[in-house]
Amino acid sequence: MGSTMDQSLSRTTAATFEELALLVPEYALSPEQDAAALDVTVSVDFRGPFRGRLVVRASACLLPTIASNMLGEAGSRQPPLQRDALGEIANVICGNVLPAIAGAEAVFHLSAPRVHDANETPSRDGDAPSATAVFGVEADRVATALFVFGAMPEAAAVA
Amino acid sequence: MAFNVLVVDDSAVMRQMVVRTLKMSGLPLGTVFEAANGEEGLFVLQEQWIDLLLLDINMPVMNGEEMLRRVRANPETEALPVIVVSTEGSETRLAALHGLGCEIVRKPFAPETLRDTIIRITGVTDGEYYGSVAVANDGGDF
Repeated sequence: MGSTMDQSLSRTTAATFEELALLVPEYALSPEQDAAALDVTVSVDFRGPFRGRLVVRASACLLPTIASNMLGEAGSRQPPLQRDALGEIANVICGNVLPAIAGAEAVFHLSAPRVHDANETPSRDGDAPSATAVFGVEADRVATALFVFGAMPEAAAVA
Repeated sequence: MAFNVLVVDDSAVMRQMVVRTLKMSGLPLGTVFEAANGEEGLFVLQEQWIDLLLLDINMPVMNGEEMLRRVRANPETEALPVIVVSTEGSETRLAALHGLGCEIVRKPFAPETLRDTIIRITGVTDGEYYGSVAVANDGGDF
């Protein structure tokens, strides 16, 4: 486990998958999970005391299970709803991780979740994530990354 | 008493989740209306009798806080029970929402949390919630 921000992102991602998608993320990945593709990407942009983007990537094989657990069987059969379900997970992770990083008084505005094309890079050129988290979920894999655009206030980084 | 509920959230997925939770909760539901932003929500409130409003905060066109202010400013809806269902984590914003007389359920939420909050805010009784217990008396063995 890395920085405090990594820990906040990791805790928030795990809690969101557990409570919203009823899936239990595993911190130690099996070889099968480690090799699983991350072929679906969604993101949520935010602005407030600092600006950035929360990115969630997952194995496409996982989407029907996520949608089914969130929406029932009907939702699991519709690919657009499956991706929207992952987008809502990104939205909830973003909304919960920002106060954990920036403090409870900070006010952020979140954009609607966006589904990225398979060949589209969700980060801007040259941006490195400020925090990352990777989990095994069932036989597949989920990765989250928090990008901060520009300088982050020092107080926010240690909140 | 059956509740007419209005769910206002820009995420169709989250609206579907909330409606699913409501239907699974066993609460005496009437009609469940949906709206994708505060402006649409206010229109539904003008047209329909609503007993309970479930409201997101971060939405386009009109956000939930603005909708809530307008709901409280209207004599016809000023006392409407409102539950904000949101990822909002800012104490500043949450305090402002509490000041407008609503309960808050943070996403992600457990279904029981939403159900218990609805029971508390609407004052539905155990009898109304669980229904009466029917005892068969048909002369059978049981």
